[in-house]
This record gives sequence, structure tokens and C-alpha cells, in this order.
Amino acid sequence: MFPGARAHRGSAAYVVVGAPLDASTTFQPGTRFGPRRVRHFAESFDDYDHHTDSEFSALGVADHGDVGPTDDAAEYLEFLRGTLADVREDGAVPLTIGGEHTVTVAGVRAVDPDVVVCLDAHLDLRESYANNELSHATVTHHALEVADEAIVLGARTGSEAEWDRASEDDVTVVPPEEVADWEPPAAVREGRTYLSVDIDAADPGFAPGTGTLEPFGLAPRELHEVVRAVAPHAAGFDVVEVNDRDDGQAATLAAKLLRAFVYAHAAGE
Amino acid sequence: MARQQTEVRELDEGSYVMMDDVPCEIDSYSTAKPGKHGSAKARVEGKGVFDGKKRNLSQPVDAKIWVPIIERKQGQVVNVESDDVAQVMDLDTYDTITMKVPGDVDLSPDDDIEYLEYEDQRKIIRS
Repeated sequence: MFPGARAHRGSAAYVVVGAPLDASTTFQPGTRFGPRRVRHFAESFDDYDHHTDSEFSALGVADHGDVGPTDDAAEYLEFLRGTLADVREDGAVPLTIGGEHTVTVAGVRAVDPDVVVCLDAHLDLRESYANNELSHATVTHHALEVADEAIVLGARTGSEAEWDRASEDDVTVVPPEEVADWEPPAAVREGRTYLSVDIDAADPGFAPGTGTLEPFGLAPRELHEVVRAVAPHAAGFDVVEVNDRDDGQAATLAAKLLRAFVYAHAAGE
Repeated sequence: MARQQTEVRELDEGSYVMMDDVPCEIDSYSTAKPGKHGSAKARVEGKGVFDGKKRNLSQPVDAKIWVPIIERKQGQVVNVESDDVAQVMDLDTYDTITMKVPGDVDLSPDDDIEYLEYEDQRKIIRS
């Protein structure tokens, strides 16, 4: 159970769902351990948040447990989409813990947002990668099959074709050095928004436990500010790409960002 | 009751299943593993054949489940009473049955139609 997630599922305002998919990870696998690590490293946090004057355990968070992958990623995403759609139908906000970034596809399909905001080192705009249309490198591309617009914050790498795609009107890329000054635009504030945090948006020095490390990234405080700014407008959230290849830095940051989302979302309603 | 029992694992998209004691057509069938042990869990989403309402269930793949036996029958329109009610003669039994006409179907007397029947529920699917 995610620490502090004491609410009953039926009356919850937020539902944590673990999605330990580890099918298309490139370079360093291990995202199957993400949900477990994130829950574990959340144990040391205080219940009270002084920014919002609220206690996490009083905000109606439930933990659904993990939805375990099968060998068929497409079928798994369908199962996960249904599980997250149930959360939405119950009037709660789904909080998915990955798992590789591919699980965001299920979250976006369940929430059906107008705008997807991604914190990510990578553009993830490929139509397929290594002959796999559901690779974790295709997430923003799939998100745009549902949403009208994608905003990728902290992106600093991609193929030439991805950068070309990112130059189109429905994609906004905010480079790492501009993230601190970014504020949610009207589309985020007024429409239905989905927020996805790929932990590799952070500089690898802060979150080494992830699959595809990319230098010159964001500081944890910058991630924190973005999450707090977007959370009041978001109908769904995930934090993904945490693996077990560090001493808990990536999982600790992911857990703290998930809690920051809940505090800010609850305070913003 | 015109229904038979099967295992959840035998279900597939496009087939029928009873959900909330209502015959439904399956739109989506997917599985996930609950953990290291135990059988996989299936999630079935569908909508009522006769009421169109969305329903879903999530059960182990080896759980027993009821499948409705829905008959596809031929009929001939005898009389159109209104925009949404018609009398139809079953071409097997020659019984005349009053049934609802879906909004997107336009019927005239003597039209041949196909309809689904389950117990006392009927739905015109083709005219």
C-alpha cells in the first residue's frame, strides 16, 4: 500500500494504481520494480504538507494495488485503461505508478484529455521504435491520438523526425532552461488535462534509477513546481520509468511528486 | 433460461455474456496478472444487447460465467403502427409479434427483417 493511502476504494478521491510494465524498456530495464520502489521510498515522508496545510492521509487516497502485465502489451494497456476508467467513473482521480512510459497510453485513453502535459527528457514522438508501435518511445505520439495538444517540458533529445514533428502546432516543447519560468497556458487551465511525469526529465544526477539517462536535465524543485502548477487542472496523473538501479533517488523523487500532485490538486479544487 | 455456462477465458470480442443478469455483447476482452500466483484476471467490457447500456466485469479467467443463447430470426413486417412500433410476423413460427423499431430503422409493410430474440426481448438489427 502507498503510505497514507488509507481510504476505501468506494469513497476515494484519488486511486493509486501500480502498472509494472517492463516490456519495451531500452538500455536499462527494471521498471517492473517501479511501483514497489515508489511505495517503499514514500514511507519516510511526513503526512503534513505545509504548502497546502493538509495531511496526505486525510485526502481520500486509496491504493488499488498493481495491475500485472501479461506478455501482450496491447491487451495489457486495454485492461489498464479499463481499470483507470473505472476510477474515473467512480469520481476519483487515477494516479498511475509505472512501469515504463507506455502505461501513460492507458491513462490518457481512460481520461480522454484535451491537453497532455509531459515532463520528459525525450520527445517520445516516434510512431514506432525497434519495430514496436507500443514502445515507450512512442508515448507522446499515442497521446496525440486522443488529446488535441501535448506540452513536453524538459525535453532535450529526440530523433530528427521527432524534432520535425515537435515543430507542428499541436506540440509545445519547453527546454529545460525555460521550465522554471513556464506557467500553465489557458488550454491547461480551462480544458481537461492529463499530467505525466517521466522521471528521466530530472537530471540523471538526481534520478539515476531510470532506463535512459539524459544529462542536462531538470532539478527536482523544477519538477515540483510544474507538478504543483498543473495539478489543480489535471484529471489524471502518472509517474513512470522508475527502476531499481539506484539507491532510491528516482523512486523517492517520484513518490514525492505523486504526493505533491495530490496535495496541490486537493487544495486547488 | 436460454443460457449456457462457460469459463471467462472462452469469451471474446463480439460474443455474448451475461453481465448484471443482462445479455451483453462484448466490446473488449483483456487480461492481466494479479501477481506471481493464481490465475490471470480478465476484464470484459460490453453493452446490453437490448438496452445498449455499458457494463463491465473483472474475474479470474477460470471463473464460470453464463452466456445467453440469443437467437437470430427472420421476420416480415405486417404493420407499422408508429415511428417506433411495428407488428412483425416470425417467418419460422408465423407468430405475429409487436416490437420496438430502432430510431435508425425505417420500416414499411412486407419488409423482410432480421431480429435478435432472447426470452421476451427482441431487437431489430437489419431491414
